Amino acid sequence: MNAVATSTKEAALAARVTESVRRNGALGLDTSEALAALEVLPYPTTRLERWKYTRVANLLSLEVEDAPQTALPTPILPALDAHRLTFVGGCFADGDITDEGPDGCFIGPVSEAMKRYPERVSALMEKGFQSQEWYAALQAAAPQDGGCVLVPKGTAPKKPILIRHFMPDGAVAAQPQHLLDVAENSTAEVILWYDCTPAAAGLLNGALTAHVGDHGALSLEIVQNEPGASSHIGHHHFTQGHHSNLTVRTATACAHWLRNDLHIVQDGSDASSTFHGCYLPNGRQFVDHHTRIDHAQPDGHSEELYKGLAADRAIGVFNGKIMVHKDAQRIEAYQSNANLLLGEQAAMYAKPELEIYADDVRCSHGCTTGQFDAEALFYLRSRGMTETAAHSLLVQAFLAEVLDGFRPEIRACVHDVYAQRLGWT
Amino acid sequence: MLKIDNLHARIGDTQILKGLTLSMGPGEVHAIMGPNGSGKSTLASILAGREDYEVTAGSIQFDGVDLLALDATERAVAGIFLAFQYPVEIPGVSNINFLRSALNSIRQQRDETPLSGKDFLAKVKACAQLVELDGKLRDRSVNEGFSGGEKKRNEIFQMAMLEPRLAVLDETDSGLDIDALRIVSHGVNSMRNGERSFLVITHYQRLLDHIVPDYVHVLAGGRIVHSGGKELALELEEKGYDWITDTPATEQA
Repeated sequence: MNAVATSTKEAALAARVTESVRRNGALGLDTSEALAALEVLPYPTTRLERWKYTRVANLLSLEVEDAPQTALPTPILPALDAHRLTFVGGCFADGDITDEGPDGCFIGPVSEAMKRYPERVSALMEKGFQSQEWYAALQAAAPQDGGCVLVPKGTAPKKPILIRHFMPDGAVAAQPQHLLDVAENSTAEVILWYDCTPAAAGLLNGALTAHVGDHGALSLEIVQNEPGASSHIGHHHFTQGHHSNLTVRTATACAHWLRNDLHIVQDGSDASSTFHGCYLPNGRQFVDHHTRIDHAQPDGHSEELYKGLAADRAIGVFNGKIMVHKDAQRIEAYQSNANLLLGEQAAMYAKPELEIYADDVRCSHGCTTGQFDAEALFYLRSRGMTETAAHSLLVQAFLAEVLDGFRPEIRACVHDVYAQRLGWT
Repeated sequence: MLKIDNLHARIGDTQILKGLTLSMGPGEVHAIMGPNGSGKSTLASILAGREDYEVTAGSIQFDGVDLLALDATERAVAGIFLAFQYPVEIPGVSNINFLRSALNSIRQQRDETPLSGKDFLAKVKACAQLVELDGKLRDRSVNEGFSGGEKKRNEIFQMAMLEPRLAVLDETDSGLDIDALRIVSHGVNSMRNGERSFLVITHYQRLLDHIVPDYVHVLAGGRIVHSGGKELALELEEKGYDWITDTPATEQA
């Protein structure tokens, strides 16, 4: 087994994480490239533009504990008819495997897919992006089990696939790797659900790698509901073929400290990407959404909408990059980010970044950060609503544009978490 | 019921109300007319509890309670309703959801039980009929994309739902065509009773043909400068305000 050098603080952390993760159970993938990358990549500090507002120095002192025996968590979305896969602390815990043979659908854990269809899995792994970020390299250096959905040409699973990752008690490190492959002319609906026990205080450093083939469609709903004190870094990477359609909706229901990286590459022409997100940190929570879309081929379309509210002393970060490559003509890319601040100590750092190297494109971005509309607030109060009730209604209205895109069960669930956290009930 | 005494108020450094005194009894309809900038809308805003205004002197008693000590929510709970001159659009909040929240919020603060879904919907139906508000408008976002007339009908619809003790109508007739004016007036008239009072602020005598007031007051320079019966409105329509607003100056001379 490859050892990690421990000469620096970050190398020591990497060693603690990878060793603990391997003891808990890691995938037997070739990790040599990732280990090499870890040696070279800088540990993120606020001096790096991509980490300017996001402090990860504290994580360096994380004393990683091995995963305890954990009972299966209570099912989420119990009324939803779905293929269910549950992972606890980076290990497969529960779920039925769907396997329709080498040319058919596979829905199950990555560990099982590797045994049955190694070539299908490795083809997908190469589409990852682990060489650019220290934490992504750490994840790839000791990847753990995650959901694997392989949809072959011209098929569509009848039910949505619910992949759940649950963090156990304590300072556990988990590095799940989820793989989604929707081949040509295929369609899939996937829900990726991250949650934890209230006593979770570890590091969730997970990755999702997804590919949507030509004329394929993937709809992904990501929910993060982590009431504990863990830190979560998510690496979400998507590649899209010609005429493919990708929708990613991310609802950060609750997060103590969260960094989400979402990167979409339109590798084929006429691709369409929709990515929406909402977040509502309060107390001393920290939520950072970094997104990037690469329009690498012509005639693509993208629509991005992120909305959030920071309350109390919470900090929110939104960074949205649109990269239109040379010769990617006739691109239409729209980005919108709107934020509300509730509380004098709350902060929101928002930055749109547009880099356009083609000359025939339509790109727009809009970014606002403000407070509640005083006139609307007065209107509601003049009808007898308390200030809290009025705030609640206005926040719901503000987030509706994003939340309404989720399926009703999820919308209701996320709304309940928000209501409870902000005392709307 | 409502007793405004020597009210002085300003916004920023601008003094707007300069000693306004007005008394209203239960079941009475008072109209307030007056030239632009005389303080009519300021009075409406202050009654509803808008915090932009600073009351520098005077008092307002509502059913014996010091109204100025209450915030906007508490005033609504006490039974004051303001029909806005410019109703606010609130995208994403459905009209019906909003009303349910408002109504139940008021009931809760009055220690009353919330309305059942069935009773609420029955009430919505009855009140919507009153101002001929169709189902689509009830379900849409609050005032979003409503025409001027629809917004004002929505205000009266809300008033009917909330059944205030004192309704302040701030230029509810502005922007209304003849039909909408008739509908809105009908809504108001059918809510008139011995307990409920109305303060109708308007520029035009036209509205007062439909909502016939018991008293008409002229507000000018931040004070009530003249009061009379309903016939005063006709006189104002004919002669304008100059003959009245000049009077105080003459008296002071």
